Amino acid sequence: LAQAIQYTIDSIAFGSLFAVMALGLALLFNVMGLMNFAYGELIMAGAYVMFFTRSWGWGAMIVMTILVVTVLALLMELVAFRPFRNASPVTLLITSFAVSYGLQQLAWTDVFGLAHVFGSTIGTGPQKGVEPYPFLTSQYNISGVLVSWLTILTIVVTVVLLGAMVLLLKKTTLGIQLRASTEDFRMAQLVGVKANWVISAAFAITGLLAGAVAILYILRTGQVAPDIGQGPLFVAFVGGVIGGLGSLPGAALGGFVLGMLINILEASLPILLKSHTQLFAFVAVIAILVFIPEGLVAIRGGLIRRWWRSWRRPVAAEGAEA
Amino acid sequence: VRPLLASAEAVARRLWPPFALSVLLVVTWALVDAFGDVVYLDTAVRMLLTLIVVLGLQIFSGNSGVLSFGHVAFMAIGAYVSALLTIPPDIKKFTYLTMPDWLSYWIFPAELSPLEATLAGAGFAMAFAIITAPPIVRLAGVQAGIGTLALLVIVYIFNLQTTSITRGTSTQIGVPKTTTFLSVLVWALIFIAVAFAFQQSRRGLRLRASRENERAARSVGVSVPVERAIAWVLSGFVVGVAGALYGHYFPTFSPGDFYFNQGFNIVLLSIAMLVVGGMTSVTGAVVGCYFITVVYEVFRRWEVNGLADVKPPSGTANFVLAVILLLTLALRPKGITGGREVPWPGDWRLPRWRGRLGASKPVPAAESRREAGTAATD
Repeated sequence: LAQAIQYTIDSIAFGSLFAVMALGLALLFNVMGLMNFAYGELIMAGAYVMFFTRSWGWGAMIVMTILVVTVLALLMELVAFRPFRNASPVTLLITSFAVSYGLQQLAWTDVFGLAHVFGSTIGTGPQKGVEPYPFLTSQYNISGVLVSWLTILTIVVTVVLLGAMVLLLKKTTLGIQLRASTEDFRMAQLVGVKANWVISAAFAITGLLAGAVAILYILRTGQVAPDIGQGPLFVAFVGGVIGGLGSLPGAALGGFVLGMLINILEASLPILLKSHTQLFAFVAVIAILVFIPEGLVAIRGGLIRRWWRSWRRPVAAEGAEA
Repeated sequence: VRPLLASAEAVARRLWPPFALSVLLVVTWALVDAFGDVVYLDTAVRMLLTLIVVLGLQIFSGNSGVLSFGHVAFMAIGAYVSALLTIPPDIKKFTYLTMPDWLSYWIFPAELSPLEATLAGAGFAMAFAIITAPPIVRLAGVQAGIGTLALLVIVYIFNLQTTSITRGTSTQIGVPKTTTFLSVLVWALIFIAVAFAFQQSRRGLRLRASRENERAARSVGVSVPVERAIAWVLSGFVVGVAGALYGHYFPTFSPGDFYFNQGFNIVLLSIAMLVVGGMTSVTGAVVGCYFITVVYEVFRRWEVNGLADVKPPSGTANFVLAVILLLTLALRPKGITGGREVPWPGDWRLPRWRGRLGASKPVPAAESRREAGTAATD
């Protein structure tokens, strides 16, 4: 039993990370129809900042990481996505793809001579980067259940973040503007929501979330590499699609469940099946996209009816306008 | 005589773009073959291989307007099937020890000729396209992008994890290096003709109509899923051939070659080429391929050799690629060619600000409208 509880706690910690990520993805998807592949690169950037500031003490490291990642997210919006404000979602998709690729390549090259300054060859290959703090990773035995501070911290931080997001979205003016924009962007603009402000705010929020995720994620393994963002991005994105990118709680829930499932399956499945876990996840993505494009949250709204309608009007492209 | 001449000109107008593009390819081949060193040869073969992928992508995405990240999956299938069928039996016995019996029974004795293996690989890719067509053709817009990306990931994970059939991350051993510059050229020429024939065919026209305005196309009786499925399967075959040729030119390939590989990212490269050149025309595919290859190579050489003691950090070429793609999307979303084919020599004009070259002979309105490819639905 103790082991089961331990797995559960670990999985909750792992899953909640992806809930936060999927939330960030869904926010951008709803506000401006952008499926942001470059989100993984925000985490990668966070990892590098942590690497460079690792000797400054943990307080400075956290502040710097979140700061830099948020600024990078805003820069990304300003430089790469602003010219495409009114472009089609497909153009945005290619754009985010290009941004993601460009940032990754930038990390592979040793730009700005960073490598020389820090006396190591950052960017020339994956490497052990951030030493995990011993007090975070050492495990405590509470009546048979092994728990590390990092696990508890992850759960606490993500719960706080999700709670803060809910408060922000429900109670503040900005939150109402954001939610209005996710419902109908053009209409929101007509009633006085400033497009630039809302989109910048959405990017800033995703940057904040990405910064937090980066810290918690990187502290788990300590690994820093240019393509570090790809793995978590795919999990969050698959979870988001399965849960329903069209709704913020749906995406967060999807990310959470998928993250948990992956953690549980990795621990319990036989090797042959384990290696193919991700394969089934992506098959599920295609199935969901075809049959329930709104994601599993649509079950509430009468799954059968929706399914039947989407089958009869196959390419009505509900998502194309989103 | 006059109507006869006119109809001859109409036929010639139709055949002109594929002819012009083929001439371009053949001239490139002749130049590189005659004067190029090994490095140039390698670059040229790589370019033509990528061109075939881009042509396949153009057949589907260009005509249907549905973006696909997944075509490289067909390439992987073509490469693996073709390689499995050509590795000498003696080697296979030792490198595929864990292959299940029901498979090894068929695969171990097989030793096909390059052409047969290429066709077999492309055939399997096409079969995979047929299986995946029903879900994919129902998607559009962002969902299609996500769905096709999922397809790519599925094939990648399968190749990576099913070590008994694909050797996983280990490279292949004993794949004969049978792909030559000439054979790639011939396939590229064939597929330029195929892409053109498809675009001009009745089915191609219907598909293009659905790209311009899906509702209007459906209202005149175009079954969009069926037309998309046909393009999907055809492009699956084309890209499958590219994969088979790739496997026999770089015999030590591994699953990463057909994914977001760090050095030679063919997924992004092929999409970038198509978008930069102009998705909606075959000319766009070829122009984009040439343009990106030249720019990429210039920067890569600059990285390696340096110029006047200035040496950009390694990896600049890849970064420049992303920047070019972004700039194109922002400044010229329809690509360099604007989605048009090579114009007939009689229609050539100077740029707008210099006035028209053959001012006495304006292009009839109907003609230019047909070129836009939308006349059918408007």
